[in-house]
Amino acid sequence: MASMEKRLQKELQALLRDPPLGVTVDSDKTSRSLSEWTVDLEGAPGTLYQGEKFQLAFKFGPRYPFESPQVIFTGSNIPVHPHVYSNGHICLSILTDDWSPALSVQSVCLSIVSMLSSCKEKKRPPDNSIYVKTCSKNPKNTKWWYHDDTV
Amino acid sequence: MASRVTSDSPNSDASGSASQDHEKEDSKNFECNICLDTARDAVVSMCGHLFCWPCLHQWLETRPTRQVCPVCKAGISKDKVIPLYGRGSTDQQDPREKLPPRPPGQRAEPENTGPFPGFGFGDGGFQMSFGIGAFPFTFFASTFNFGNDGRPAPPQAGSPQHADEQFLSQVFLFMAVFFIIWLMLA
Repeated sequence: MASMEKRLQKELQALLRDPPLGVTVDSDKTSRSLSEWTVDLEGAPGTLYQGEKFQLAFKFGPRYPFESPQVIFTGSNIPVHPHVYSNGHICLSILTDDWSPALSVQSVCLSIVSMLSSCKEKKRPPDNSIYVKTCSKNPKNTKWWYHDDTV
Repeated sequence: MASRVTSDSPNSDASGSASQDHEKEDSKNFECNICLDTARDAVVSMCGHLFCWPCLHQWLETRPTRQVCPVCKAGISKDKVIPLYGRGSTDQQDPREKLPPRPPGQRAEPENTGPFPGFGFGDGGFQMSFGIGAFPFTFFASTFNFGNDGRPAPPQAGSPQHADEQFLSQVFLFMAVFFIIWLMLA
């Protein structure tokens, strides 16, 4: 538990000190509890999401960083993307199977920005309506099937 | 859970002198890739990534069936990490804290750079070999070596030389089997 807080503290300080382009930690909401973060994302310039603003909610379990955080899009604007469901769940392998403790909030944010940036056509996943109706609240309980490396 | 964040202002270290910056940079190079702190009971993987041994051990335990380097996803295991012993750092620690124990270092003997070993009677040993059967069926061949014949000891298990030699011996074995099959079929 202590190691989780120590590491999150370090990550937060680094992100506040030196945030990557288009990634902003909402420090007011985050400092209330280190185990839940809100991060603002901006669509990268020159992509389909240019100028759009999104919000990510991170939830860290006591076994972080050995276990991945729960990451979903939240707020009013959920990006329309083939790997993002309309309830904010994200189909991204590093959030479950390919998680590694060397990843961080920053690298997850950059992966998500990059996933958005490589999108060619804005559309929801084909199984969006049925998934949103039947899924668990926690996307980590979903058995994701990673099949598309292009977007 | 509800701990406060001590957010230092972005400009707080702008006043630090150049040497302090340099020191900071230096210690950053020795941060564990998992806890982001200066590595404690440091180990380094074959792929060159630095971790605290307790951190890496916990990660290896988390996914025992798929042990990969957290940084580069190279295959990794307990036997394939090297402990780092800094000067004076080993005896300062309470050994009880070293749970799980850090894997020991591997010591390979230094390479022998003398005259070409394995030939000649003069240099400190006598070698003899004999076999029964016609070439290539020398299944019962054996080799006797008396005394120290000047050849270096085989490398320790787990070292790169050992892996190389294992590979080479497998290649030769494969060639021998192939040759015998070829003789039988021909």
